Amino acid sequence: MKTIAEFMTADHKACDDEFAVAEQAALANNWSEAEAAFSTFHNDMARHFGMEEDVLFPALVSAGGPAGPVHVMLMEHAQIKELLKQMAATVAQKDAQKYGGLSETLLIVMQQHNHKEENILYGIADHILAAEREALLGRMQAI
Amino acid sequence: MRMTSLSTEQAPPINVPLRFFALAPIFLILAALMLAMADGNPFENTHAPALLAATHCITLGFMAMIMLGAIQQILPVLIGSQMPVSRLVAWFTFLPLTAGALLLSSGFMLSNPVLLNFSWPLLGLAFLVFIAASLTSLARAKAQNATKISILLSILSLSVAAALGMLLARGHANGLSLPYHKLAITHISLALGGWVMLLVVGVSYQVVPMFQLTPNYPKWMTSGYSPVIFTVLLLNLLPLLFESAPFWTGFVMETLFWLLAGCFAVVTLRLQNRRRRRVTDASLNFFRLGMISLLFAALFSLASRLLPNTSDYFRTLSVLAFLLGFAMSLVQGMLYKIIPFLVWFHLFRGGANAIKVGVPNMKEIIPEPWMWRHFWLHGGTLLAALLAPLWNAAAWLVTLGLLLQGVLLGYAVLTGISVYRRTARRIEQASA
Repeated sequence: MKTIAEFMTADHKACDDEFAVAEQAALANNWSEAEAAFSTFHNDMARHFGMEEDVLFPALVSAGGPAGPVHVMLMEHAQIKELLKQMAATVAQKDAQKYGGLSETLLIVMQQHNHKEENILYGIADHILAAEREALLGRMQAI
Repeated sequence: MRMTSLSTEQAPPINVPLRFFALAPIFLILAALMLAMADGNPFENTHAPALLAATHCITLGFMAMIMLGAIQQILPVLIGSQMPVSRLVAWFTFLPLTAGALLLSSGFMLSNPVLLNFSWPLLGLAFLVFIAASLTSLARAKAQNATKISILLSILSLSVAAALGMLLARGHANGLSLPYHKLAITHISLALGGWVMLLVVGVSYQVVPMFQLTPNYPKWMTSGYSPVIFTVLLLNLLPLLFESAPFWTGFVMETLFWLLAGCFAVVTLRLQNRRRRRVTDASLNFFRLGMISLLFAALFSLASRLLPNTSDYFRTLSVLAFLLGFAMSLVQGMLYKIIPFLVWFHLFRGGANAIKVGVPNMKEIIPEPWMWRHFWLHGGTLLAALLAPLWNAAAWLVTLGLLLQGVLLGYAVLTGISVYRRTARRIEQASA
């Protein structure tokens, strides 16, 4: 069975791929494709945040996991959500230049954030939540 | 498990790293001035005072300035451990490094022992503080990964390279009887092959996949690569330290080092070709130019072994390709990612007011066309540098290229700082 770290890391990678497709289409001013690709990316990011904010993080904190770092992760989610909101607006305006600047920014914020989750937080989650891992993964996949 | 690394509140204030980045371009301008004041073509003789002075302006005042500033910023992210007393460490590296680099370069330029004697204790202080702080940070980091090992070995190489550099400067100043040639070779091989190379390797393991969404470096490369390079470097020094070491050790180890370095360049270029993010930016091109230069540095060095008649010429080319092509390209490419991100990150922390006022995105902080101009200018300077040992006019082009790069990069950094200040003021006004 997959660990939480493996499952969530694979989800990060899937979102990265969608990010790259959307960025390429937007910068090529191919707006019909960019709109579809961005919307897939945006939805999957929202789903990933949902898995963490509604299932994983509350379970982690209530099992005695570190509340401070979870708070930091939530703050970074807020940053990422704000960037995604601004990117959605540039897709609507078909502004490739602005999209490129925002996606460059998002990429670094997102990669830094993922790096911390993948290297630290998910490992702690696998350790603390080992007993209920299967049930948690089921609940996350249901989102 | 330590979690302090995840706290954004512990990120040092933005003026800490920007101080290093804003000063570094001035040293490129100084390097150009020193080359301009040389008697004849400074690239013809690797012991020319002007070339020594300009080289140390670039390695200490420019590259080490940026590397030390950047490491203090990114080490916490890469290995998940804070630098201790970060503000003090920043001041006690920045001030003595600045003064030490100025004194050492002018000491070489003017052949002035007093300046040299003031320079080496200051440089020693800067590196001692930096090395102690980084080692503490590495010791505290719980994460065990290839990046951490690489950076650790890189810092160990730096400590020996810096100590030998101090000894050499002191020796030159006071006319001590020292085995100068052997010490200088050891100093250069640990500074470039150890400190610079292993630092680039360690940082690349993380940032190459991150910035361009490439596959990760293969396991065979991350697991033993840096310790092997480090061991090869140490074995390479054996014939210098012990007369009894077999003569072929140096040849075999040097060849092995360059094969390994070339291998890293090829793997990195292949990963970048397989990147999922197809967008090309100036920073990626600086990185690719750096890797191609590393390959050339390896080829030139092997050529110097195979063609004994032109050995000195190819050796000079190898050092130029490594220093200006590999190290300097990567430093500049990274800088063009780090500065816009830092400005954005620190402005965005202004919260709701920052969003209301509007934080410029990364591409609105340093205009991209400037980065591209800088990339082409840097490529031109590098080409001129490879021709300079044979062609006097090219030496002038290198001087001009370094001068313009210093001005351009300085302008880019100051633009980033002024965007930060302007926006921060507006955020403050909005919250008043």
